[in-house]
Amino acid sequence: MATLRNTYTAVIARGERWAGQVYTEPYEAAWASEAVFFIHLMPDSTPPSETAVARVQISPDGLHWVNEGTEFELPTVPDAVSFGRVLNFGGWLRLAVAVPNSCVFKVVATLSLKA
Amino acid sequence: MRSDSHPAHGDPRLSRFDPMERVIYFDDFDQGMNGWTCLVGNYQDSLDTMTTSYARHTQPMLSQITHWDSGTHGSFDGTYALKIATRPVAGERNTAIKRVTFRKASRIRVETYFACKPEANELKLSDKDVRTFGVLFDLQDRQQRVMPHLRYLNTLNGERRHQWQFKQRTTPFRAIGGSEIVTHDHLSPEDWEDVPGGHQNLCYNEIPTKINWHYLRFDFDLVNMCWLGFQCNDLVMDPSGLESIKMPAMANLDCMLNLAFFCESDTAKRTFFYLDSVLLSGDF
Repeated sequence: MATLRNTYTAVIARGERWAGQVYTEPYEAAWASEAVFFIHLMPDSTPPSETAVARVQISPDGLHWVNEGTEFELPTVPDAVSFGRVLNFGGWLRLAVAVPNSCVFKVVATLSLKA
Repeated sequence: MRSDSHPAHGDPRLSRFDPMERVIYFDDFDQGMNGWTCLVGNYQDSLDTMTTSYARHTQPMLSQITHWDSGTHGSFDGTYALKIATRPVAGERNTAIKRVTFRKASRIRVETYFACKPEANELKLSDKDVRTFGVLFDLQDRQQRVMPHLRYLNTLNGERRHQWQFKQRTTPFRAIGGSEIVTHDHLSPEDWEDVPGGHQNLCYNEIPTKINWHYLRFDFDLVNMCWLGFQCNDLVMDPSGLESIKMPAMANLDCMLNLAFFCESDTAKRTFFYLDSVLLSGDF
């Protein structure tokens, strides 16, 4: 029987309202070789007046973090989705998002992983 | 092989377990998530209707248990363990759940090898940062829904307790949005009771990055919906006086056999509950 590649999607923010400086909880994924972060602006959101940038961060130990280099803008239209792809990330992943003053993003953020 | 040896003991992967006659599932987290997922609360129309404590739950992950000072620890028999992590908030909890149904009401047994440690972000012993960890079944036959809960209370508000506990009561049900959907917080901090004789010191070790795996077994009778006892390492407890949360059978839950593990932090530091593997068996 063929062995299929393992895959798993983790919801890392479920209906959270992002404002100010946001860091998602650390997620361990050393088993995966590729990852895609998705951010879905929820349909009942008030459209933010400007966008924000999500930066992927990696870590050797889950305690100390550094920008990986991948970054992407959050959607500003309700029900829209944006994403960022990551490779060669070691064992830990999270997003750092600096939300502009007066803006709130109500989001579902997911991390899709594949071995 | 001894003539009285357990049939599973000839299989190296199973030899550290004592399963009943039929293995219902054996989840080795070196192979993947095996159907373990996040326990979200009920909701209707908006996620905002979800009970706050459930809304805070996050997804389990596969951890190789890597530390800043000693690198990868690994699991009991491989690289990966299922990891349930709280947020860094005192009193915060998290869970992981696997949902199946039963085909025959029988005695069932869950066994696991586990470890529970705080995040190693201080150069301190940190043994009082974990509040609790535990296991629960969520079951239903044609008459009732039954939810046996078992937890180890490590620390409560900074005081070491080292006590196994159970609970018989949940919070009042709350209707969501006037619909048929209701919710309750069966894992709430209230109404936990000490298991008589259930004090036990576990092998925490001497710094947060040294991990020892522990054995846990929990037996339950689906015919009579009653406890049959549990074991953690060398502590073996009979079911005397141990009861479950019970309520009338609910719609849409017939033959439910859910198994969940959970943990809570006692300080503003993440608690990590690791499961090397989980074996559920039945005597049919």
